[in-house]
Amino acid sequence: MMMVLCILGTYLIYRLSKKIYGKWPFPLFHHLLLAPTLLIVAISVMHVSANQYLDATKWLTHMLGPATVAFAVPIYKHLPTVKKYLGTIIISTITGSLVAIFSTFALSKIIHLKYDFMTSILPRSITTPFAIEVSKEIGGLPTLTTVFVILTGVIGGVVGPSVIKWLSIQTPIAKGLALGMGAHGAGTNKALEYGEQEATFSSLAMIFAAFITLLLGALLIPAMI
Amino acid sequence: MKIGVIILQILFIHVFLFLGAALKEIVALPIPASMFGLFLLFLALCLHIIKLEWIEKGANWLLAELLLFFVPSAVGIVNYDEIISFQGAEIVVLIGVSTVMVMGMTALIAEKVTKRKGSEQL
Repeated sequence: MMMVLCILGTYLIYRLSKKIYGKWPFPLFHHLLLAPTLLIVAISVMHVSANQYLDATKWLTHMLGPATVAFAVPIYKHLPTVKKYLGTIIISTITGSLVAIFSTFALSKIIHLKYDFMTSILPRSITTPFAIEVSKEIGGLPTLTTVFVILTGVIGGVVGPSVIKWLSIQTPIAKGLALGMGAHGAGTNKALEYGEQEATFSSLAMIFAAFITLLLGALLIPAMI
Repeated sequence: MKIGVIILQILFIHVFLFLGAALKEIVALPIPASMFGLFLLFLALCLHIIKLEWIEKGANWLLAELLLFFVPSAVGIVNYDEIISFQGAEIVVLIGVSTVMVMGMTALIAEKVTKRKGSEQL
């Protein structure tokens, strides 16, 4: 009963939040911020503890597993594009991943972030199912990582178009790769506003960044921290 | 009807998740089971062992609703609220600065490589 109620409630609030953000696209109304906020209010009003809620909705979280597997489909569909631009995609996403990890590491040192916060924030630039795996691998806390990934997506969606404008980036490939590398799924969402090509490269950047960060998480990060 | 197809296809995608988990037992690499599953599904598609239609609707649904699946984890933040409010603003600035650097570098490198390779592309 609790399970059905929590899953249904989460789904409905998520839909509602998406609608609200669609109507008023103001960063603070982003459904990834709005939905959790509304749910936190809802469960505290109904006297459900966070842990009870998390336990009841574990089936939703479980879907991240098959969702990760499902990424095989866009890669397969875009195979000709991947083959044609493989070099550019790899060079750009390796650079982006290194910048993401090192700048996050350096900045978290500057603000004296606690150790488990730092290990949780390092994989923030990649899509959640992968970020959680990297986080677990290097000793981070999956919940915190999820929140940092969401913040990255929301902030990236806001600053992305400005970065593209400031640097007067012209090619669809560079725009798409930057958005997908910097802000994973939220960036890809933004890339759709530029066009189909930008969105394709953005989703490819998101997938390649996930692979690369996963490798770096296993090899580079443990040596660094 | 359509929902039934999506559910069946998601169950079929689970087969690859389980195969991935089995492969992870054999290959001792710090790579998640779902990633092995992704490779196996990709391979099966490339080798035409399975058809795209068998999984496409389920996969598209999973990817379209990806954001929904991490809403519960985000709610879990209430367990850390006192620490977040303490350094929250600094963390937001950190993410903003770092994201601008990541996007800027990625865009510049990609633009340079694309333009050097020749202007006929795109």
